Amino acid sequence: MQDRSIRLWAMLAAVMLALMVPTFSCTRPRVVFSFSTLSGSSQAIDRANVEFARALAAAREAEAAGADEDQLLVLIEKLNLAVWMIDRAESLLLQGDTAAAAAQADRSIEVSKGVVLEAVRLRDEASLRTYYGKVFAFGMVPVASLLVTVGTHYGWKWWRRREIDRTMRMEIKGVREPMEET
Amino acid sequence: MPKLSEAGKRAVTIFISAMVIFSTLAYVSVTPRPREQFFQIYVLGETGKAERYYPNNNPNIPSGKAVKWYLGTTNFMGSVQYVVIKVKLGNSTIKAPDDINYTPSPAPVLLQFKRVLMNNETWEFPFIWTIQKIDAHDNVISPTMLEINGVAVRNSQVRASKGYNFRVVFELWTFDPESVGFVFGWRTGAERRVAWLQIWFNATSPGTR
Repeated sequence: MQDRSIRLWAMLAAVMLALMVPTFSCTRPRVVFSFSTLSGSSQAIDRANVEFARALAAAREAEAAGADEDQLLVLIEKLNLAVWMIDRAESLLLQGDTAAAAAQADRSIEVSKGVVLEAVRLRDEASLRTYYGKVFAFGMVPVASLLVTVGTHYGWKWWRRREIDRTMRMEIKGVREPMEET
Repeated sequence: MPKLSEAGKRAVTIFISAMVIFSTLAYVSVTPRPREQFFQIYVLGETGKAERYYPNNNPNIPSGKAVKWYLGTTNFMGSVQYVVIKVKLGNSTIKAPDDINYTPSPAPVLLQFKRVLMNNETWEFPFIWTIQKIDAHDNVISPTMLEINGVAVRNSQVRASKGYNFRVVFELWTFDPESVGFVFGWRTGAERRVAWLQIWFNATSPGTR
């Protein structure tokens, strides 16, 4: 009986010890610092991804508004740079270089924010240009119709006069019958 | 109301007809035409053509032998797209991607290539891979270490009897703004489409075949 209680106490002590070791090691400052750094760089990468998604959406809006292709190409190159930076940050994080990973992610965020600003400017310019283009296209409709009407009217009159003149200039010419052979 | 002369009536008719014709022309010119939205994905051999996919046209790839392909995709979606090409290693038993249910292959991803593409842009790049290390146990062969475009990639899951019928699967994934994540294939309106490719090969230890 006493043997069993000693064994039970020993098991309990072992469990307690097993629970205390990780708890103690977690409270050590070095480990806590390392965990927070890892979490910090991971958050930076998450922020970089969110910012990238915003930049992509902004570029799409600019494109839909009719932005110039060459200007859009510059934005796409910047977006690809941001993609590369995020990938690099992720691989640095996997290698354990948390500081470099966070720095890379921050640079990606800067690039993405720059893309958003540029895309908004392009979208506004393109929207205005598209609006003026539509106004011009539909504004030209009555002008072109009027020109066609006036042109047709005077064209018709000229043609009528020409036809009347042609009729007036007509002469009656006798058709000489071939002489009958006698 | 004064009655229009014959010439007046004719002018009004012409004017209204011209208005209708020119308005239609203006609408057509300012409205973008709806086009079919799709992606194209392709793999070419070492010559940049649909030929010579294996060194010396031999699908038995020994370790250390570099295989060169050209991988490409073209965006015909009518807008900027963010795409990922996932490269997976499979064998004859691992499922291929499902075109009907739009599910990707469960084969492990070796590497992925990401890029933002403009409309009508083609992205083509060389895909050079080498089997660096082959493990063979009881006729079961597994390429445990590969190198793809200079990047070392480990494979611990895929093996095949005698090294026959491995396949490299290329899947096209696109960024979906609604779910803010990548989806296999792409969405066009209410429809969903997928695109993928695979190339079979046999992995051989030096001197096996």
